Amino acid sequence: MNTDNTKAQMRKGILEYCILAVLSRNSCYAVDVINELKKAEVIVVEGTLYPLLTRQKNAGLLSYRWEESPQGPPRKYYELTELGKIYLNELDKVWEELVESVNQIRDKK
Amino acid sequence: MKTTVNINLGGYAFNLDDDAYERLRQYMKSLEKEFSGEPSSAEIMSDIEGRIAELFKMRLNPYKQVITMKDVEEVMAILGSPEVISGGEPSDASPPRSQRRIYRDPDRRIIGGVCAGISAYLNWDPWIMRIIFAVLILPGGFGLALYVILWIVLPEAKTTAQKLEMRGDPVTVDNIKDSVKQEFDTVKKKMNL
Repeated sequence: MNTDNTKAQMRKGILEYCILAVLSRNSCYAVDVINELKKAEVIVVEGTLYPLLTRQKNAGLLSYRWEESPQGPPRKYYELTELGKIYLNELDKVWEELVESVNQIRDKK
Repeated sequence: MKTTVNINLGGYAFNLDDDAYERLRQYMKSLEKEFSGEPSSAEIMSDIEGRIAELFKMRLNPYKQVITMKDVEEVMAILGSPEVISGGEPSDASPPRSQRRIYRDPDRRIIGGVCAGISAYLNWDPWIMRIIFAVLILPGGFGLALYVILWIVLPEAKTTAQKLEMRGDPVTVDNIKDSVKQEFDTVKKKMNL
């Protein structure tokens, strides 16, 4: 068994949830989201994030606005839509349940 | 001294060394292929292009006006290779075998290159195949007939692309370059001897 692969799969599973959680606090430029996820060691490379943001935007969970940038092209600032907030609430519950289930199994002696 | 290439990335003009340009072009192409299944692949690519433009801009100043290979490689490490982006399964999986074909190998042939070609396809040492054929020839010459048929049926690997296909290497610009260089080195060695 390859533990690295399992780790990567686990991270991938919670990535969408983490993106929504970061954006729930305030609207962000993609790179701000990336930095936070990198610090928490949830993602390794930036490229992973762009397709996910676009997918979530297409699903109506996120919206974005353009803002001028001092360096380079204008930036997309993403934020949660109403639907995104409801969706995040659901995921919060699922996460709590998951943690509880796993702990229950792990702590059973 | 190097030639530079002028490109437009996310609405900004950049000067790239020609080798850096070639590397970036291949990278963008591989990303495009990676996202080709997505309904909004164009949007994803333009987001990434904008980000690359931003990262390039941070690497330029009044005393450094040209993007070099090192810059491109740094940016590629930040954004990640297509394999890492697609799901973290590193590409240690065997190369796609679909491209692999059997040819006669003119470079390692003894008679017609049949044994050498089949071994290249199977990744064996050619002598194993030759011994198998030699053994098959002993009772009644069946191996000989088989050899002649294969000689007629199998095409010879003439071009570099065909030689790469024979060995199961993907036919990419880099691989063709490597392979041509290898052939050149072999010829050079022979001339020296």
